[in-house]
Amino acid sequence: MDTLVVIKELAAKQFGGDPDSVDADAPVDQLGIDSLGFLEFLFELEDRFGFPIPQDAVAGVRTLRDLGAVIDSLRESATPPTPI
Amino acid sequence: MPRVVVTGMGVVAPGGQTVSDFFAGLVAARSGIRQIGPDVFPGSSPLVAAQVNFDPAAYWPAHQSAQFDRATQFALVAAGQAIADAALVLDAEESMRAAVYWGTGLGGATTIEDSYRHLFATETGRVRPSAVVLGMNNAAAAHISIAHGLRGPLLNISTACSSSAASVGEAYRAIQAGHAEVIVAGGSEALVTYGNLCAWDAMRALAHADPVDPSRSCKPFSADRTGLVLGEGAAALILESSERAERRGARIYAEIAGYGNASDAVGISKPDAGGQVRAIRLALANAELPADAVQYVNAHGTATQVGDIVETSAIKSAFGEHAGNLWVSSTKALHGHLMGATGALELLISIVALERGVVPPTAHLDRPDPQCDLDYVPNDAREMRLRIVMSNSFGFGGMNAVLIARRYRDGQ
Repeated sequence: MDTLVVIKELAAKQFGGDPDSVDADAPVDQLGIDSLGFLEFLFELEDRFGFPIPQDAVAGVRTLRDLGAVIDSLRESATPPTPI
Repeated sequence: MPRVVVTGMGVVAPGGQTVSDFFAGLVAARSGIRQIGPDVFPGSSPLVAAQVNFDPAAYWPAHQSAQFDRATQFALVAAGQAIADAALVLDAEESMRAAVYWGTGLGGATTIEDSYRHLFATETGRVRPSAVVLGMNNAAAAHISIAHGLRGPLLNISTACSSSAASVGEAYRAIQAGHAEVIVAGGSEALVTYGNLCAWDAMRALAHADPVDPSRSCKPFSADRTGLVLGEGAAALILESSERAERRGARIYAEIAGYGNASDAVGISKPDAGGQVRAIRLALANAELPADAVQYVNAHGTATQVGDIVETSAIKSAFGEHAGNLWVSSTKALHGHLMGATGALELLISIVALERGVVPPTAHLDRPDPQCDLDYVPNDAREMRLRIVMSNSFGFGGMNAVLIARRYRDGQ
């Protein structure tokens, strides 16, 4: 499944609302996500994708689309995927 | 010194999630105690508990309720009820002198237990990032403050079974001392979890399930009592200076007239009459009342073998001959032991009894214990025009807190 679709689906579940209404290009803090909320979100994404998302990899992330790109590049380098 | 009055109350408890429903259940001796399902306690021997039939979806969307431990959910609902009941409206300046004094025994126990269960069962080394702020003991107090913009002192007191009695007592003192004008005081707890049940069962403190009727398993002061029953829930009271309450024309349920706090310094789990007697006497002295002014005592009365005898003896020592005239009831027979929430809950019950002139009974008291020989208002509620009521709360660690409430107009 497309990474961004999964991100929007989980974001809607965790922060409320409808996956289709989640704006992937809005700054994360404008989506009502604070820093702890973002950590919880990363934790859920790690569970879903099955590999760790290091803090330094997301340091420059401003939007959910940025986050999707980070996850895609991590996925390519994650060999083999570690189930967690 | 300012007088301190109660202008709002809220409750989430086994047997009722409004003050009226809950109190009506107590007067009718309807028990909130049930056998626990295998989903909570998969052990082989049957256990009973007093659980709240609580649906978070009635209050929050799922993504919000996931940010609150079950104990915090109870706290937010009870505090919300109390604030609405008091019709409390605070401007920016008043909010700086509006406080939260809360009580919890273990706080976010469900979060902590779930986290450990996941951690040890999966061996992933992964714990949810919000576990700290969901599980911490002060989470409920903090969320009440955040939800209602209360910016004065914010305290959480944890003294086992007397936690929320102490929180109300300390709130009363804080208003007297001028540290705050209005305080949301109370407590919350949610300990009906597998691990907690196992721990309490290991102490052999839990009541055996009544083989005929599990709802009758908690039998305070009865010869066939077998122990306490864990409950869960929250109770909140709005404490306010009488001056503020009068100024805004608030409905005043009662005045907090006295508070006594004294410790046993004897044993971590062994109750001792010495500390209890001093807590009762201190509360009476604080209220400037003679012992024979008290008409009703809501007992700590957990239904353990030793505890009920020690409390009976403490009441006799503290009240002397008047002990025989007192109406004493333990409502835990019906709502169980709410641990950190129980002191505030039982004060709330005492205040409603005062206001309505109805004393809820000690249910399931059919076989008097010769060593428990006070008038425990067995099985049936009674009516009396009450003026002065007392609520006892005694916690592990020998932490005793006693509160006295009276009719407000009487105190003038």
